[in-house]
Amino acid sequence: MPVPGLPILEGLYPSTMDLYPFEAKEFNRIHPFYENLRQNRFTTTKCKKCGNTPFPPRVVCPKCNSDDLEWVDLPTQGKVLRFTEEVAGVPLGFEAPLIHALVDLGEGRKFISRVINCKEGQLKEGDTVKLAVFEVPPMIIEKRGGVMEESPRVFFAFEPVK
Amino acid sequence: MADRKVCILGGGMSKWGVREASIIDMAQEAAKDCFDDVPALKKEDVDGLLFASSYCGRSAFQVNIAPVIAERTGIKPTSICTRVDTLCAGGSSGIILATGLIKAGMADVVMVSGGEKLYTPQRWETYYSEMASIDHDWEGAQGIGLPPPFFSMTAQEHMKRYGTTKEQLSAVSVKNRRNGSTNPKGHFQKAVTMEEVMAARAVVPPLGLFDCTPITDGCAAVILTHEDKAKELSDKPLVYVRGTAQATLHSMSMNWPGEDLADWVHLRIAAKKAYERARVGPEDIDVAQTHDCFTISEIIEMEDLGFCKKGEGGPFVESGQSDFGGKIPVNTDGGLLACGHPFGGTGIRQACEITMQLQGRAIRQVESAKIGLTHNLSGLNVEHTILIYGREP
Repeated sequence: MPVPGLPILEGLYPSTMDLYPFEAKEFNRIHPFYENLRQNRFTTTKCKKCGNTPFPPRVVCPKCNSDDLEWVDLPTQGKVLRFTEEVAGVPLGFEAPLIHALVDLGEGRKFISRVINCKEGQLKEGDTVKLAVFEVPPMIIEKRGGVMEESPRVFFAFEPVK
Repeated sequence: MADRKVCILGGGMSKWGVREASIIDMAQEAAKDCFDDVPALKKEDVDGLLFASSYCGRSAFQVNIAPVIAERTGIKPTSICTRVDTLCAGGSSGIILATGLIKAGMADVVMVSGGEKLYTPQRWETYYSEMASIDHDWEGAQGIGLPPPFFSMTAQEHMKRYGTTKEQLSAVSVKNRRNGSTNPKGHFQKAVTMEEVMAARAVVPPLGLFDCTPITDGCAAVILTHEDKAKELSDKPLVYVRGTAQATLHSMSMNWPGEDLADWVHLRIAAKKAYERARVGPEDIDVAQTHDCFTISEIIEMEDLGFCKKGEGGPFVESGQSDFGGKIPVNTDGGLLACGHPFGGTGIRQACEITMQLQGRAIRQVESAKIGLTHNLSGLNVEHTILIYGREP
């Protein structure tokens, strides 16, 4: 379908407009995060030298500068500390109400995640939510000879534990 | 060579609002207003340009915008000409950098300009671009965008922990919209009542329409130079940059540095450093422009800037302590809530207002103001930037 105002973009993939990360191994060095996500694992990197386990994953330990890192699993369930239901100004690609929660994963890790498969008014503070992995549109990568290859992608949110 | 003392001479703004103008147009308007404000300043005096903008690469399809702005405004920098991006604090970062360059003798007269064209031909693109303004791969992709959900959680936290009320949030909006009602350059000139704020439609509860800064197009510009040149160029009282700080401790929410979202430890760190460098304390500040992107922000800023005790920000604003006649008048030109927030322009707008306050020529003047403070937070509350200005160096 032609893009209004930009007919030259028909059939092309403008990566600067991509909502999701460039997950393919050709474009980053933390792609195992996404491969693990596909197995419903929520992972990050742990420094083999000093034990530091930051999130998001790194390629060099931000504490001791070692590049000898390994992948470890984080909890896939957490507790809702606070949540919001955004009813106006929701970005393209999302629908109102857009629900976000401050999730406590334990081990001193709290972070903000989108909550999906959840109706407005359903979520309560203290509820348990679990990792939810879903397919997102693939990246289109130009290979030798101008061949276009689709690189499949997944992303994550959390969802109420029924 | 001993460090030179750095002065801000004056500044100007384009009209802010929903503009039928490009960022390049508005940068010219702001520069004209700025040159008009410092009549002795000639274009050839300006040897540096720092232009603060975050979205020009997305909404104007123009990166490396500084040479474009320099050419269009007719200045030919020979010391520095570059773009600065700290999202909401870009303008303040520009002023900090210009101060350092002038102090060190690496530039003499620097224009710090900045702003955004945020309204795109189709509005979805503005919200969509916002997801590039935070930690994109981890939080933008969660649909967080610029922070209404984040600040809603912050407000909930402050309400639960300290008993802050929706009326207290609303009091910030009523004050700032009233202050902005006489500011012809701001986005809104219409004051709002407590009843209107309380009854406004929800954006992200408990935050309603008047608790949030609008989306705004606009540019602003100021001129900085060293003390000797300032005396030569300005017939107004000199205003010095006394102390600055900018603190960043994290990028994504999992690494939030505070005890909870209402605990802004990075703001306290920046404030302590800025006060030390300026050789003043919070009790010495006569007027402040703080980052009221949301009403809750101004309440927490009162606390973590040291204007009141932690947890007492709600009663502090409700009882008029941050208003004219109170302990410290805050956002005397209307702040972000009334002027709007074209990110790179905001710190410069704040600097314009503080300069006029300290020169005794503000629209709503704080009587005999001698020391002023500006503050920005950036993105998903990842960075705090403070500048302290004074009539004495």
